Amino acid sequence: MSHSRTVILFWQLAILAVVLVVWQWGFEWSKALLPKAYVPKILDPYFIAKPSLIWQSFLRLGCFSDAAGFTACITGSDNNLWLATLVTLKNTWWGFLFGSASGIAAGLVLGRSDFLARVFGPYIVALNSIPRIALVPLVILIFGLGDLSKIATAWLVVFFVVFFNTFEGTRAVDRDQIAAARLLGASEFTVLRTVVIPSALAWVFASLLPAVSFALIGVIVGEFIGAERGLGKLIIEAEARANASEMMVAIFVMMFVGILLAIAVRSLQSYLLRWQPQFEH
Amino acid sequence: MIAAPSQGLALARDEEPAAAARTRITVKGLVKRFNASGREFVAVDDVSFEVKQGEFVALLGPSGCGKSTILNMVAGLLPRSGGRILIDGDTVETGKVNPRVGYVFQRDTLFPWRTVEQNIGYGLEIAGLPKTERAGRVASAVEKAGLSGFGQSFPRMLSGGMRQRVALMRTLILEPEILLMDEPFGALDTHTKLEMHKTLLEIWERERQTVLFVTHDLGEALTLASRIILLSARPGRLKEDFDVAIPRPRDPVGVRETAEFGRLYSHIWHSLGEEFRRTRAD
Ligand SMILES: Nc1ncnc2c1ncn2[C@@H]1O[C@H](COP(=O)(O)OP(=O)(O)OP(=O)(O)O)[C@@H](O)[C@H]1O
Ligand SMILES: [Mg+2]
Repeated sequence: MSHSRTVILFWQLAILAVVLVVWQWGFEWSKALLPKAYVPKILDPYFIAKPSLIWQSFLRLGCFSDAAGFTACITGSDNNLWLATLVTLKNTWWGFLFGSASGIAAGLVLGRSDFLARVFGPYIVALNSIPRIALVPLVILIFGLGDLSKIATAWLVVFFVVFFNTFEGTRAVDRDQIAAARLLGASEFTVLRTVVIPSALAWVFASLLPAVSFALIGVIVGEFIGAERGLGKLIIEAEARANASEMMVAIFVMMFVGILLAIAVRSLQSYLLRWQPQFEH
Repeated sequence: MIAAPSQGLALARDEEPAAAARTRITVKGLVKRFNASGREFVAVDDVSFEVKQGEFVALLGPSGCGKSTILNMVAGLLPRSGGRILIDGDTVETGKVNPRVGYVFQRDTLFPWRTVEQNIGYGLEIAGLPKTERAGRVASAVEKAGLSGFGQSFPRMLSGGMRQRVALMRTLILEPEILLMDEPFGALDTHTKLEMHKTLLEIWERERQTVLFVTHDLGEALTLASRIILLSARPGRLKEDFDVAIPRPRDPVGVRETAEFGRLYSHIWHSLGEEFRRTRAD
């Protein structure tokens, strides 16, 4: 059954409104109406802040409410919202880029070579079974508190996801299509460029969408454990001051960043895979 | 390599190429053994034949008798277990592509991420032909295949018959002198198949490539070929080799009304019938 877009949109907005209203006034109302024992603690703004406070924190952290002016505020603090977002975004982007580029390269090489696949197979499986988070302190020890350790963490997370998908995608290439290309005069390299890569691309992209979220997670975790700047660092600072609304600001910005990155990957995907039915315009 | 002699003029209305026509494909004592779950079995057993310049030879036999296997060895896609294959006097090396040879697959092997034009132009593109020159040749190939208006479509938007036309043109645009075809129309319905026969006959009767055409469809072999090589059921052995003396130009529906078609049809039918009975007895 299909519902019209307006009906869907109506319900989406209704849910949003209910959540915001309960979040904003739910605790006060339940305190006024219910016996003390039944007041839901989870609604306490001390823990989850509330929309109006979050908005104020956003204005403050974002340098919108500063009397001294926007630029003075921006340059005055070294981890304001803008700078933190920029740093996290930048590290996520590079981690994602290096991680997926190296994952694709390694996947293609091992996917095309039975010998290398068999030699490296066990090592890759072993490395992949290490929970990536466990490596973050080590990465910070090696690369320091700066951006490099965050990029390295994101790389670690992204690489394996993209590698495995590219490898499988390369393995799944139609042998007859390769034979057809060869019979039409393609060299081994041309086959790779014109058949293997385009054919494996659908598999690669299937991993890029989760990979971009993983990159963001990797960077944030890195910032939690040791950093000078970034959205993760902003959360840690807010936690030290028990300031839930500032944490919420950082969380919402992360959500926004995550959505933007996903949209970017998706539009690239639907352009490159436009030959597939689900991406038809 | 020297271009093919201009056989077109002299042979345009001719039934068979002159006896002096040179041999293009030589298969001698060809053997192929496969290892199926540890047990070795013979798929192709001592097959020998020759194909001369400008001949259209159909390799006919029951399913599983080793037709594709033979064709793949001729194309150099598959190593042989014994015997020799020569193309223009040179031994075929496995894995080495001969630019004079074109191959059309049994299965759909179009590149789904390329448009019709990009598929047809693939061989020219990777050969480094300039874009403008390529576009002209691709456009005329698209038209020749009756695909005008579909140049920008992706293969999945096309019917099976149209896809097979694209596959045919992707090979023909490179102007191979020798064409190896592995049941290219096997997956098509009767009507589409007849249309494809018409297209192929038109092209071949104009250009007279040397063709080795694999099929298990008796009617198809009689419609298209100048000569039929009949293979026995597994293991594939040479059973019969005869000419199809139906005059050209042929019409895929009209040929069925000729006396020659009827005579050969019942002859091969009985011969093939024995093979099918043998297959089932196995
Ligand atoms: N790679 C392989 N390994 C083992 N056996 C094979 C292999 N390829 C083909 N065979 C076997 O060899 C025999 C001949 O196969 P082939 O594909 O040449 O038959 P065909 O005549 O082309 O049949 P069809 O008309 O169904 O396409 C079959 O029994 C098949 O199972
Ligand atoms: Mg076959």
